[in-house]
Amino acid sequence: MSSALRIRGFIAIGLLPALALFVFFVIVPILWSSYYGFFDWKGIGAMKFIGLDNYKEVVQDRLFWHSFKNNLLIVAASVFGQVPIALLLSLVLLKNGWFQKFIRASIFMPMVLSSVVVGIIWGYIYHPQIGILNFLLDSLGLESWKMQWLSDPAVSMYAIMVPIIWLNVGPYLIMFIAALQNIPSEIDDAANIDGARGSRKLFSIKLPMIWDTIKVAVVLCISGSLKAFDLIYVMTGGGPANSTELLASYMYNNTFSIYRFGYGSAVSTMIIIISLVLVAGSQYLMKSKK
Amino acid sequence: MTTPSISAVHPASSAGAGAGTRKLKGGILSLGLTVYALVTLYPLIWLFISAFKTNEEFYSRPFGLPDVWNWSNYARAWEVADMGTAFMNSAIVTLLALAITLIMGALCAYVISRFQFRGKLLVMGTFMLGMLIPIHSTLVPLFILMNKVDILNTYAALILPYTAFELPIAIFVCVAYMNTFPKEIEEAAMIDGSGYWGIFLRMMLPLSLPALATVGILAFLRYWNDFSFALVFISDPKLKTLPLSLSIFATGYSTDYKLTMAAMALAVIPTILAYLVLQEQVMKGMTAGAVKG
Repeated sequence: MSSALRIRGFIAIGLLPALALFVFFVIVPILWSSYYGFFDWKGIGAMKFIGLDNYKEVVQDRLFWHSFKNNLLIVAASVFGQVPIALLLSLVLLKNGWFQKFIRASIFMPMVLSSVVVGIIWGYIYHPQIGILNFLLDSLGLESWKMQWLSDPAVSMYAIMVPIIWLNVGPYLIMFIAALQNIPSEIDDAANIDGARGSRKLFSIKLPMIWDTIKVAVVLCISGSLKAFDLIYVMTGGGPANSTELLASYMYNNTFSIYRFGYGSAVSTMIIIISLVLVAGSQYLMKSKK
Repeated sequence: MTTPSISAVHPASSAGAGAGTRKLKGGILSLGLTVYALVTLYPLIWLFISAFKTNEEFYSRPFGLPDVWNWSNYARAWEVADMGTAFMNSAIVTLLALAITLIMGALCAYVISRFQFRGKLLVMGTFMLGMLIPIHSTLVPLFILMNKVDILNTYAALILPYTAFELPIAIFVCVAYMNTFPKEIEEAAMIDGSGYWGIFLRMMLPLSLPALATVGILAFLRYWNDFSFALVFISDPKLKTLPLSLSIFATGYSTDYKLTMAAMALAVIPTILAYLVLQEQVMKGMTAGAVKG
């Protein structure tokens, strides 16, 4: 065998299995489902071509847009919750001492838990009768603050945001600490010589120096908001009265609970389009705002 | 900060006071941070303590310690929730998917990092695209696809999509790492008569261990903790993984809180142990995974 052939053979063996697996399980289903979106189909039996009807129904369904709004609420909770908390903590946890490492490791801990476990634990915390949150309010004499945290549509979405923030501070904290530690020490020395102190140093030097990292964090909040499906499924299932429905749970409930696979496929396609637009758009905005 | 006028009068004493307030401030800050960390850890601590309680204690004294530490809760939860099966399924699926991910990812990364070929940019672009697709939006399409090829309710229904979705990040982490190796090391191996497989197995793999460790930790946690794929692709009770069987158990035994707590405590022990041993790598790996995936 010639050496050119051997190289080719090796490249093919190295690439093709991985590429085939990836294309078959990630790319093909997406393309396929955008096609199924044109059919009325119960998952078994005949498929009836109905043109754009499914897609029209998605766009006109108020519940779909309500779910989308909930996704945006999670983005907001992440941008205004996780990011500032992580940023504040990173400023005081910058040193690499054992105490700082211990606090960082504790804050990161929830990330390694299964979202099912997180969801069930927080479900118990919020539980109207046995929940420790209402128990705590009772023992503090704050009975009037007690609520049906997860079963009152007016508060359920906000109640869900707390575990989401609790869960996700860790990686942002690590990102910000890495960025702050990357600021060259000469810059800090120069600032000290110029007499810059505390808050002045923070706003004129530290924040501008890690601005790019903060931008990355905001983009992450957007793509991360689409991952909250597990938590919602375990804690509320999208209820009560669809108040905590997310795009992914909307798709799940509209496909597997009522066997509308054509419609579910159309929703899936819409979610992918929306998220690509959101991620691309946010990255574009972040780049142009220099 | 003390005012300059005072420091002009009593330089020595003011310096002492400044250090004192700084120490006090530092103390308050440390205390605040400790409280914050404990609040973060509390749900988990609560989980492990509650798992030892009786149901009465769970209702009446949720913050207290149990009178008797009931180790039997764990044994009963293990039995009632059929956790042996779930642990076995999770272990099989996680280990197989992990092995395939590491082998395919490393091999692909070696080819991309070291060889020139037509369509290289296209291949990399395809994998890049995969990182932009939100994983949950593919639940319905994947279900339909797996139904067509008839692999729903098999281990493959989890192993193959886990691997497929993890490959892009595995490849990009490994490529970035392998690109830092100097070309000379392979040339030396070539002269020694090692083929490409020899170079890959005896040189690239061992040298890439740090990158593979990052990829491996990240993949282990994702596979072990995955819920949504198992929920949609597995309905056979014999094949249920831990998160799936926990969610079913919690719904079914919704009033036997101590058992649910004990079952959950058992289920999180492997990931917590892994975290305690490898926390620095886990934190770095998961942060890198979040940024890139």
